[in-house]
Amino acid sequence: MKEIFDDILAMEDVRGVVVFSFEGEILFMEPNLEIEKSLPLFIQALGGIREVDLIFEKSRLYVRRTDTGYLVILLGLFASGAMLRLHVDMALPSLKERGKGKGLRSLFRRNK
Amino acid sequence: MVKKVLIVDDDQEMLLSLEEGLSKYDETFSILMAEDGLDAVEELKDSMISLVVTDLKMPKMDGFSLLSHIMEHYPEIPVIIITGYSTSEMEKLARKGGAIGYIAKPFMIDDLAKRIVTSLRREADGGTLHSVSSGIFLQLMEMEEKTCTVRLIEKSSGKQGILFFLEGQLLDARCDSLRGEAAAYEIFSWDDVSLSIQNACPQKERRIHRDLQAILLDAMCLKDELRRLGKGATPRKKEPSTKKEKTKPVERVKQLLKKEEGEGYGVEDVYEDNSWESFVNGIKRLGTAFQAGAFRVAYIDRGESRDFILLPGESVTVIAVNPKCARDRIMEALSE
Repeated sequence: MKEIFDDILAMEDVRGVVVFSFEGEILFMEPNLEIEKSLPLFIQALGGIREVDLIFEKSRLYVRRTDTGYLVILLGLFASGAMLRLHVDMALPSLKERGKGKGLRSLFRRNK
Repeated sequence: MVKKVLIVDDDQEMLLSLEEGLSKYDETFSILMAEDGLDAVEELKDSMISLVVTDLKMPKMDGFSLLSHIMEHYPEIPVIIITGYSTSEMEKLARKGGAIGYIAKPFMIDDLAKRIVTSLRREADGGTLHSVSSGIFLQLMEMEEKTCTVRLIEKSSGKQGILFFLEGQLLDARCDSLRGEAAAYEIFSWDDVSLSIQNACPQKERRIHRDLQAILLDAMCLKDELRRLGKGATPRKKEPSTKKEKTKPVERVKQLLKKEEGEGYGVEDVYEDNSWESFVNGIKRLGTAFQAGAFRVAYIDRGESRDFILLPGESVTVIAVNPKCARDRIMEALSE
């Protein structure tokens, strides 16, 4: 699964990638991050939102709805937003393909 | 009309050999050079560029970021990618990003020149005209319901401008650092222009919402007034009226956006709306949990015809934007 996100993880100032199910369960995480309780709760609260880009004082969060759940990318302030979205657009078809047929959870390595 | 081609590469030797090799085409196009994406962004602001040739791997701002910037702000400018690290994936990404050409290094300079000339020809595939009044010609565009891009040069000053028409409607204009109606006012004040017409309108975002005739009339009035006063100042667009109640944070945001992007930032409305408050509180909690510091700005895409930018404060300030707006620039400006 990691290879789908290799290009994203190789981007400058990208700190991590997490895939959540719509219920807030972690399906994939790279590297192993300490996920705060509020993130899955926030993800669940997103409902039908397609994309969220959040800028904080010290870092950024990019959230994208996928067919299988929500893709969350942790970023520094200098990551290129346009490049990130381009890489995510490229990764989503592979993610969709991986999620097909065999049962999604069996294909995602759960990092805990 | 002299066409300018901007070549972007951090490899000095490559830049010099391209400058030398392409010098024999100087009757067709002139060469400008930039050493990285940021340098190119500045050059794009200062000059009316017809085509960009860019490397991908560069310091400060890479070729993909530059491509994305051009597609967002100058969609009419064709981009050719040249790279020494070519893979099919890179090519796919470049084409998907909007590049019209992708050439792996090493290449023959004449092959690149051919691609440039072919692409530049399209700039005037609808014909060229000399010594015309911009106002009269542009009314014809509207009457004929033309879809085209018109590039103009004022003979006396050498100033250049560009207008985008979709089925006779003026969508957008650009001249120096001006965009939208402000640029249209400037262009419409020119008396003696040469122009070329391209039979396509790559600009999709509408930045001008007023009728062409009304803008032409206002431009003429302003020009007469300036002439009478003997001032050389550039006529600017009048402030649009707004029906929404104005509040201080909203005004501050409007002024900031205007300062950053002129008239053309894709913003449709700015208002206060506390129905977003619980969502914003959730974002704030998230920021605290991640030790990310204070929440500055959020961009929300709900898959609708409008996206939303949220700013925290005593009340939540909401900016409704066109999904094709200059998103990263707006976010950057608002987060500072």
